[in-house]
Amino acid sequence: MTDTTASSSSPVFRFSAAETTKHVVLIAGAVIVLLPFYVMISFAMKSPAEIMQQTGGFFGSQAPFVDHYCSKLGNPESACMVNPIAYNFTQAFTKAPLLRYLLNGVIVTGSIFVIQVAVAVPAAYALAKLRFWGREAVFGLVLFGLLIPVHAIALPIYVMLAKLGLTNSYAALIIPWTISVFGIFLMRQFFMTVPDDLIDAARMDGMSEFSIIWKVMLPTAIPALLAFAIFSVVAHWNDYFWPRIVITGTRDLFTPPLGLREFKGDIDGNNYGPMMASALVIVTPLIVAFLIAQRRFIEGITLSGMK
Amino acid sequence: MPGRYAHLWFIGPALFLMFAILILPILIAFGLSFTDYGLGNGQANFVGIDNYTAILNKRSFAKMFGATFRYVLVVAPVSVGLGLGAALLLNSLGRIGEIYKTIYFLPVMAALIAMAIVWELALHPEIGVVNRFLSTGCGSPLELWPWYAKGCADGFPFWLTDKRYAIWTVAFIGIWQAFGFNMVLYLAGLTSVPRELYHAAEMDGATSGWERFRLVTWPALGPTTVFVVTITLIRSFQVFDTIEAFYPTGGGPSKSVYVMMFAIYEKGIQQNLLGLGAALTMVFLGFVMLLTIAQRWLVERRVHYS
Repeated sequence: MTDTTASSSSPVFRFSAAETTKHVVLIAGAVIVLLPFYVMISFAMKSPAEIMQQTGGFFGSQAPFVDHYCSKLGNPESACMVNPIAYNFTQAFTKAPLLRYLLNGVIVTGSIFVIQVAVAVPAAYALAKLRFWGREAVFGLVLFGLLIPVHAIALPIYVMLAKLGLTNSYAALIIPWTISVFGIFLMRQFFMTVPDDLIDAARMDGMSEFSIIWKVMLPTAIPALLAFAIFSVVAHWNDYFWPRIVITGTRDLFTPPLGLREFKGDIDGNNYGPMMASALVIVTPLIVAFLIAQRRFIEGITLSGMK
Repeated sequence: MPGRYAHLWFIGPALFLMFAILILPILIAFGLSFTDYGLGNGQANFVGIDNYTAILNKRSFAKMFGATFRYVLVVAPVSVGLGLGAALLLNSLGRIGEIYKTIYFLPVMAALIAMAIVWELALHPEIGVVNRFLSTGCGSPLELWPWYAKGCADGFPFWLTDKRYAIWTVAFIGIWQAFGFNMVLYLAGLTSVPRELYHAAEMDGATSGWERFRLVTWPALGPTTVFVVTITLIRSFQVFDTIEAFYPTGGGPSKSVYVMMFAIYEKGIQQNLLGLGAALTMVFLGFVMLLTIAQRWLVERRVHYS
């Protein structure tokens, strides 16, 4: 016993040494993790010359510079002076229809989530609370579905959509994600914990099964639903692989990741600033939401860990 | 009263979609993998197992397996290890650790395609901050390290275009992106380790931090580890965004970064060789399902034993 008291009085020194080491390691990690964010924000604020010559520090000098495209159009140089930040962001929004991309991103992620819930919640309810022939088989199918990442079978899905003439449409962006076996599984686990009495009482009151699902069951599952929403929205806002496959023609259907990729494709050295500004615009919504509701986000993203 | 067939309305849509989007495509891929089908080619010819033998015999696919396994076998263990390490450190720090947790989780939230493009600029041989930072170390004792001295003399590597570095650089970015996710899973796992176990271990003479980790923390994190390892393996098998961003065609310098997802995309979509793409899909699916089944088996076994 005396031993432990001795060692708990001395830790004051040793502890802080250990503590410092820990912080040094963690800060070194943080620097590496933040490095690309630093580059992104910094380049979005600098003029092309400052980027190419690696001058201006983090913020750039913010000195106005001549927009070459503007002066090539015959305008006098004095009329073509632009501020780097203003230049980068206006270019980001005008060189490509970035707003349209963002809108597409909202439409696609929103539709995916709504349809996933509309399909998964009733199925989860039936699997959790109704008895019917074949229930175990259906649940087995759900468990089997959990084995298959949709990206892995993207090619045959693409062939099916192409045969149906659906590539290059919102439908193509949304359809493969309408079924979330994970959503079914998650909601089922949650519904299992809802007492049967609650449902029986609702039936006594003459509620239809349909309104039991949406008015009784769903409100009890709000935390799970919210976590699932974050999981789904983050995955599909950031998804690049699937849109890349099914959207080949018109920019009108580009999601933010595709738009950014195209921006990179036709880049010349002068456009690093605007490109980083676009990247910043695309990455910011989720990052800000994450910083505001950190706990919820971490819960949502790691949801798949709670199987 | 509930209709006798109410469940059909509830299960029906999900059942239909599961069949149409998860089962049917596998059957289609299986069927196509024995043909030379291409969109717009009219009819498909049966070619037997030619596509599969091509995958086994062609040099480019040997490179594909090489690149994929190199990537997976680096990214998975390192990002799991770093995730665990970060979680243990943060756990011992208490509230002040929260700030690191936030920072380390940022790459998980940011669109990988966007961050890949940023990394490309950061690693750029002329305007990139990475090589500029490395060159500030020139003239210091770091030059005792031959690699570093060579970098100072001849310029630091072209990280993404030199075939000796490309796959490792891409793997580094994969680790950068993935370890924060593993960290939060481990943090969640750590909260469920019963405190009493530490006391008990201490009673039994496990006084050093390492002993406590070996005897209590690590075994208690077993289920978390099984899950984290599988999900990281599966995710790194699916790497695509960074590779397509850096090397839109061809799979990088001497195909050294030609990973499976990219091969499926290149053969199936870019070159319209759907039969071959479908065969690759089947092989890929085999790997992924094998991993998940192995995970389930490990989990079940643990459940039975405890």
